[in-house]
Amino acid sequence: MIVDGPGDAAWNMAVDAALLELASTPTLRLYGWSPHAVSLGWFQRFDDFADLPPDAVVVRRQTGGGAIHHGDELTFSLALDAALLPGVVAQSYVLLHDAVVRALAAVGVTCRRAGTGHPAAARPGNRWCFAEPTPEDLVTARGKLLGSAQRRLRGERPRVLHHGSLVLERPALTPFVAAVADQQPVTAALRAQLADAIVTELAEVLGLAHVVGSLDADERALASTLQREVFASADHLRRR
Amino acid sequence: MRPSDLKFQKSHEWLKLEGDIATVGITDFAVSHLSDLVFLDLPNKGASVTAGESFGEIESVKAVSSLYAPVTGEVVEVNSDLGDNLEWLSEEPFGKAWMIKVKVTGATAELMDGAAYDAHCKAEG
Repeated sequence: MIVDGPGDAAWNMAVDAALLELASTPTLRLYGWSPHAVSLGWFQRFDDFADLPPDAVVVRRQTGGGAIHHGDELTFSLALDAALLPGVVAQSYVLLHDAVVRALAAVGVTCRRAGTGHPAAARPGNRWCFAEPTPEDLVTARGKLLGSAQRRLRGERPRVLHHGSLVLERPALTPFVAAVADQQPVTAALRAQLADAIVTELAEVLGLAHVVGSLDADERALASTLQREVFASADHLRRR
Repeated sequence: MRPSDLKFQKSHEWLKLEGDIATVGITDFAVSHLSDLVFLDLPNKGASVTAGESFGEIESVKAVSSLYAPVTGEVVEVNSDLGDNLEWLSEEPFGKAWMIKVKVTGATAELMDGAAYDAHCKAEG
């Protein structure tokens, strides 16, 4: 596992892409966003966000789903071989989300999977990830608490990149979301406890032991290239 | 039941070869694992595809998956109606949900017959 502090949006996405490509062991990365940023899902149209504030930092994720305003949140990425997760995409969300439910419970925050009665997938009309939960998404009475999305490579080395965005404090552009702060004061101690609990629960559900590490030289070099040439580029951002 | 004249790739694309034209799509197994599909991106007519490399992408349940070409060649036809009718992939993955037709000019990826593909799907679960 890699524990990063708040990072630049393009760097955050580049590191996750590098880990998807190169990481030799299942890698969980915890990070945040500085400055706060909006990430668009892979298939979303840039022009659909023309109303964002002019100073908004915007990046395009590799993963699907809707846009997220990344304010004060605990973001995690998981890059691993596809064989370690259920092959049915929805089941993989259930496995990982149930682990996050247990992690949240450990710090006194209750939530549940939204369950039936919700659309199975984000619809193109719903541009914000948190606007409409899918059955696997985690919700409270206030709204959706965790945003999730994936990129799946099915080639010679089937791989999955899973993104999770757990809202700590409600971000300005998406006031309809639920937040950990609805139930617990977001103190430094709570942040640390929550991060530990997420690492513990995700490792357990994947049957893995966790050790703290960092990017190796190849991963760092690829991340630097991807940051510069892909995730910080206007062409990539406006590719749709 | 999968048609018997198809070949399959480990990444769950199917191929039907007629002369030097290969019709390509994704299998019922792939569709069932992806579940509810929302976006599809296919190459344009005239594009080059390379065996084993991505030729498009599909999104379901907030997951973007790459599609891999089983042959090398030039895209001569694209099922441009499919993107607006993604339910076809569940209804007729080997029929009207074909994705591209490729004029084969080069290598073919390692492909399986139906029995071997059945075994591959069972192993993946």
